[in-house]
Amino acid sequence: MLPLLRCAPRALGSAVAGIRAAAPLPPLRRLLQPAPQLCARPFGLLSVRAGSERRPGLLRPRGPCGCGCGGFLILGDKAFVEFLNDEIKEEKKIQKHKSLPKMSGGWELEVNGTEAKLVRKVAGEKITVTFNINNSIPPTFSGEEEPSQEQKAEEQEPELTSTPNFVVEVIKNDGKKALVLDCHYPEDEVGQEEEEESDIFSIREVSFQSPDKSDWKDTEYTLNTDSLDWALYDHLMDFLADRGVDNTFADELVELSTALEHREYITFLEDLKSFVKSQ
Amino acid sequence: MSLVLRNLQRVVPIRRVPLRKRIEVVRGVLGVQKFDLGVICVDNKHIQHLNRIYREKNVPTDVLSFPYHENLKAGEIPQPDFPEDYNLGDIILGVEYIVQEYKENEDYYDILAVTATHGLCHLLGFTHDTEAEWQKMFQKEKQVLKELNCRMGTRLQPLSRGLF
Repeated sequence: MLPLLRCAPRALGSAVAGIRAAAPLPPLRRLLQPAPQLCARPFGLLSVRAGSERRPGLLRPRGPCGCGCGGFLILGDKAFVEFLNDEIKEEKKIQKHKSLPKMSGGWELEVNGTEAKLVRKVAGEKITVTFNINNSIPPTFSGEEEPSQEQKAEEQEPELTSTPNFVVEVIKNDGKKALVLDCHYPEDEVGQEEEEESDIFSIREVSFQSPDKSDWKDTEYTLNTDSLDWALYDHLMDFLADRGVDNTFADELVELSTALEHREYITFLEDLKSFVKSQ
Repeated sequence: MSLVLRNLQRVVPIRRVPLRKRIEVVRGVLGVQKFDLGVICVDNKHIQHLNRIYREKNVPTDVLSFPYHENLKAGEIPQPDFPEDYNLGDIILGVEYIVQEYKENEDYYDILAVTATHGLCHLLGFTHDTEAEWQKMFQKEKQVLKELNCRMGTRLQPLSRGLF
């Protein structure tokens, strides 16, 4: 038997977290600073006293030393740049879309870095779908079976697919408030072929927010579909379908997101190469 | 208990509310509202895959039923001991296959309801392997659809019509 009914709607994800006022976070710099520890350097650095006017030369960059360590660093960077060159070349070779694919249904696309926005106006309503390609590629399912032949390994490697959470905003003519629906792709779809019983996408949360995204609040009531009456859930899904957000849209969004993610990845590699090369 | 609809395909646009409305009527007529039921809409490729695995028939079809309670007598309502067993199972609707078969003067959701009624009868132990078994199933489908026709103003006929 297919285990549909054992598969309760998923617990709330974190998609909305990114679009709301974020809770205060601990200072990031702590993560980036080395933990305090005793210095184990062997060259008498500990003799430097606080407040001493004399700064030890060991902390300054030096010219090439006799042991060749400076040369090693340069060689490492050179190898890094060569690796990046090869990687960029390979990625461009497998790039499916040189320009971003179009969405059917009259959606207009705006891209700002890793965030994309699709806008459509239907019967006096403005429908906006936003998603961010960062962290949108789910981990690939890996079975226990090893490839029998090495040459097949490359063929068996699954294509990376970007399945971002996406947020649908519906604003009526009066523009007073936005109905916001937080939508997700099922997490177990990629790489698993056995008896998929999840919808192609699902609604996780629904709330009213200000039409101005910067005013979105956590204090607005949020309807969680986890324990929602299924009849109401079906009305919400039909509501979205009537506005062009259906399974076909969800498929096209995956294609768009995957193309955007790949483009941004290649740009990142190129930036990384330029950074490593720069003096 | 819950009727859960899933739409796993992209080929045929499906509106859930009209489908739910019809299946809820069918559940009511059969007296199984207190049981969970899953109805899953799939395309030809998906239902052919299931048909091959579970029935060794490598062709797409209109409906497959996966009963939670097996070996029920025809029309027997399960009497579970535990709340979690108030479940009839899942009906897989091959919506692409159905849309290819239906006639233009028919309402697509009505045809889905006829097909789901057939699947639901299978979940309740009805079969149509012999003429005697078919007679029982045909009569049950007819009874259910008669009530659905009254409520929806339709003239639907059982899917198993003319099997023998």
